[in-house]
Amino acid sequence: MVVPAVSASAAAELLEREEELVALEDAFAATRRGEGRLVFVSGDAGIGKSALVRAFCSRQEDAARILVGSCDSLRTPRPLGPFADIGARVDGSLGAAIAAGMATPKVFDALVQELRSAEKPTVVVLEDVHLADEATLDIVGLLGRRAVQLGVLVVTTYRTDELPRAHPLRIVLGDLATIAGVLRIHLDPLSPAAVATLAAPQGLDAEDLHAKTAGNPFFVTEVLASGNVDVPATVRDAVLARTARLDDTARGLLDAVAVVPQLTELWLVEAIAGDVLGALDECLDSGVLRAEERGVAFRHELARLTVEESIDPHRRVLLHRAVLAALRRPASGRLDLARLAHHAEAAGDTAAVLELAPRAGEQAAAVGAHREAAAQYARALRYADGLSMVERAGLLERRAFECYLAGQGREGLPDLEEAIACYRAMGDRQKEGACLCLLASRRWCESEMTAAAAAIDEAIAVLEPLGGSPELARAYSAASSFAMNEEKVEAALAWGERALELIDEADTEALVYQLNTSGSAELLQARPEGRDRVERSIELAEAAGLEVDVGRGFLQLAWIAARTRDFEWARRLAEGIEYCTQHGLELWRLYLLAYRARMELDRGRWEDAADSLSVILGPSTEQPLVRILALTVLATVRTRRGDPESAPLLEEALSLAAGVDDLQHRAPVAIARTEAAAYAGRSDLAAAASDDVLALALERGAVWVSGELAFWRWRAGIVEACPAGIAEPFAVHLSGDWRAAAARWQELGCPYEAALAYADADDPDRLQDALDQLGQLGAATAAATVTRRLRDRGVRGPRPSTRRNPAGLTSRQVEVLQLVADGLRNAEIAERLVLSQRTVEHHVAAILDKLGARTRAEASAEAVRLGLSDPS
Amino acid sequence: MPRYVVERSFPGGLAIPGGAEGARACLTVVKRNTDEGVTWVHSYVSDDGQKTFCIYDAPSPEAIRKTASRNELPVDRITQVRVLDPYFYAQEIAVRAR
Repeated sequence: MVVPAVSASAAAELLEREEELVALEDAFAATRRGEGRLVFVSGDAGIGKSALVRAFCSRQEDAARILVGSCDSLRTPRPLGPFADIGARVDGSLGAAIAAGMATPKVFDALVQELRSAEKPTVVVLEDVHLADEATLDIVGLLGRRAVQLGVLVVTTYRTDELPRAHPLRIVLGDLATIAGVLRIHLDPLSPAAVATLAAPQGLDAEDLHAKTAGNPFFVTEVLASGNVDVPATVRDAVLARTARLDDTARGLLDAVAVVPQLTELWLVEAIAGDVLGALDECLDSGVLRAEERGVAFRHELARLTVEESIDPHRRVLLHRAVLAALRRPASGRLDLARLAHHAEAAGDTAAVLELAPRAGEQAAAVGAHREAAAQYARALRYADGLSMVERAGLLERRAFECYLAGQGREGLPDLEEAIACYRAMGDRQKEGACLCLLASRRWCESEMTAAAAAIDEAIAVLEPLGGSPELARAYSAASSFAMNEEKVEAALAWGERALELIDEADTEALVYQLNTSGSAELLQARPEGRDRVERSIELAEAAGLEVDVGRGFLQLAWIAARTRDFEWARRLAEGIEYCTQHGLELWRLYLLAYRARMELDRGRWEDAADSLSVILGPSTEQPLVRILALTVLATVRTRRGDPESAPLLEEALSLAAGVDDLQHRAPVAIARTEAAAYAGRSDLAAAASDDVLALALERGAVWVSGELAFWRWRAGIVEACPAGIAEPFAVHLSGDWRAAAARWQELGCPYEAALAYADADDPDRLQDALDQLGQLGAATAAATVTRRLRDRGVRGPRPSTRRNPAGLTSRQVEVLQLVADGLRNAEIAERLVLSQRTVEHHVAAILDKLGARTRAEASAEAVRLGLSDPS
Repeated sequence: MPRYVVERSFPGGLAIPGGAEGARACLTVVKRNTDEGVTWVHSYVSDDGQKTFCIYDAPSPEAIRKTASRNELPVDRITQVRVLDPYFYAQEIAVRAR
């Protein structure tokens, strides 16, 4: 057969690469010890990445099993291409899994099985991953994350000059940046000295050569191989100069090989260039083509591209047609749709493109390579002029869907709109409605609320006359959640009921979603049956493994509990946080922590709140709503304590909420700023902070928001009638009945508001109680006001013994200590206070430390001594 | 890192024992502070020991309160401050004049 040609410049390519070879060998040594590695070798085109990897592999030939796969330079690469290459070479299930179109996780499992199956340590080489399809990149990410445990060496190469900022490989590189076992090797151009070494035998001007080639090894070797004395200005010229030395037949063969990206199999070469096959040896000998295991390829992709571009356009089309025809009858018998579609387009064969591209798209979609699928559908659309409207609309719809799944939803929107227009023109109202529904949710994802609402209204108008259908149910459901988002509770419920009538019991996803929305709406109206619905949603979601929906269920319960000050729900919240942690639902977890912090604030547990917040306000939290919640709670803790630096937090929260028109974002900011204005006695600032939001809250019937705002506005000195329909405790307080208000707040478990109610009393004993309570909470700002009021009545200041907790214990720790002294074990304390056992253990340890006690018994005795517990 | 003045009141008068015991007490405070990234720079104590003004470098007011509670120290008020040196502006003028 064909003998691998020894490249004349093999030795030359490896100048100045010793360090990198050592790095690879160290990585391999680690692999032999059982610790895997993933190495990214990067550099410009022609810098010698493949050469380096090849040299390294040839050194390990006996010690390792080497598996090689390359990514295609097709515009739409074969999904999982490199792994298909590997699969073809080994005996196991990997090839079968890919051929069967299995999803990426299953392919990954087959790959891992294959990697672990050999006795010799395994080296996997993946070339040109900057060209990789989405599914391949997913696997690279997985390999990187598990590099150390897998115990194999994975070496990848990629071109740095083909990596724009938004390139998906950058995301993978970023994700793996801090993972142990992932290394990066970057190759630099050759130094002038190295170039001089190479140039010496031919007597070329080394300085000129280095300057013109910028030390690029490929460029240098092309120039040297062309044998010219003059150094050409570009790589292209260098390559062409070299190929010019071949005779016509050889160049004919070269052209044929050039139109096939990457590797051209021998059977394919025969099929398309049968008559010039004899020139193959000459091409190989000259070094322009290189023999691989399964066929021939240009020595470098740059060379191939240069030759391909230099072919006469007409001849190029003919060659692509020949390749297309040949690939339809492949030696292996299996059709490679992505490849076929590529050549069909290059050949300008409309019928072939329309036949092959959609199928290639389906194949890509099935394995999760959504970007490639979208590109295939886009390719088909470019040739779709002659298609019927139905077929065209179908392609548009599918492309839009694939764009969405690839995280590029925006790009697919024009296609979706065009599809809608097609269906409308055809009179297919069902499809028109379904697409309008999709359009609405896409617009919503892009935060285009008005456009979303318009689209869903249209969808409903189109679908309703057709009678009940899953599409109509989906439209009602979307309308329901849009309304819920704006807290238009009545509308949300009305749409929700209609949706629930139509939703099939078996459609768990739709049912879970709507139960969540409707239940939340009912809870906002203080209807307890809402809780049942949301809990049912969580239950169904958990059973069906719909993790995100479980998270969403907990989230709804949390924000409503926080909003309505329903603290009995605390245990459920802890369970929710646990679920999100276990299932990696990081964003939901942060939301739940934020709502927990808000509830800790309202329950007077300000230290716990501050602790929760430090977790959320770490650098990586970008979600605006989470930050707004956290910033406003922390700012309020600071203003109530009289601590500095609350203003900057409120400013940041204000800017985050700007431009978002819903209460969820704006209410926390308005409330916190109005409260701050109240302490400063600035009615003007209070009005500016709350006028708009109060109006919105009253309109939407958000009684707790309007109540809190009305309260702080009053305390800031704004004179106005108490608005109707605000939350009860606030209404009672604003009516002047401080006694009833205090009782109500005590019932709810809000000690700060209760103390503020007592602080409005006339009699000095109540004022003193208020002062004690405020002292316990550390509410210095309000305490100062009450002290002044007491002094005006000639009463001395606060009782010193209650100004701070004895022994420096926090109020929470006092609670725990009391229960310890009562003889409860940690598990019982956890149960009683609704904490995790670990948290209780932490508190107990801190208490023992602060009291200088060695045992619980000693601590209990100390508690008695401090008057915190009765001796028993 | 921001600087704070922390005001504390000790109704019974602050009393730090002399000698090794006092040194130990102070150093324990310093060590506990480092857990939260808090640095005690120094303090001003009134003659009757009933009021102190403590200068701290800390990441946040919450960190100061946490370490205060661990060290069993009261906190009356926390104020964020910037250092102002009486000769700062004079120096600036002198430098510019050169």
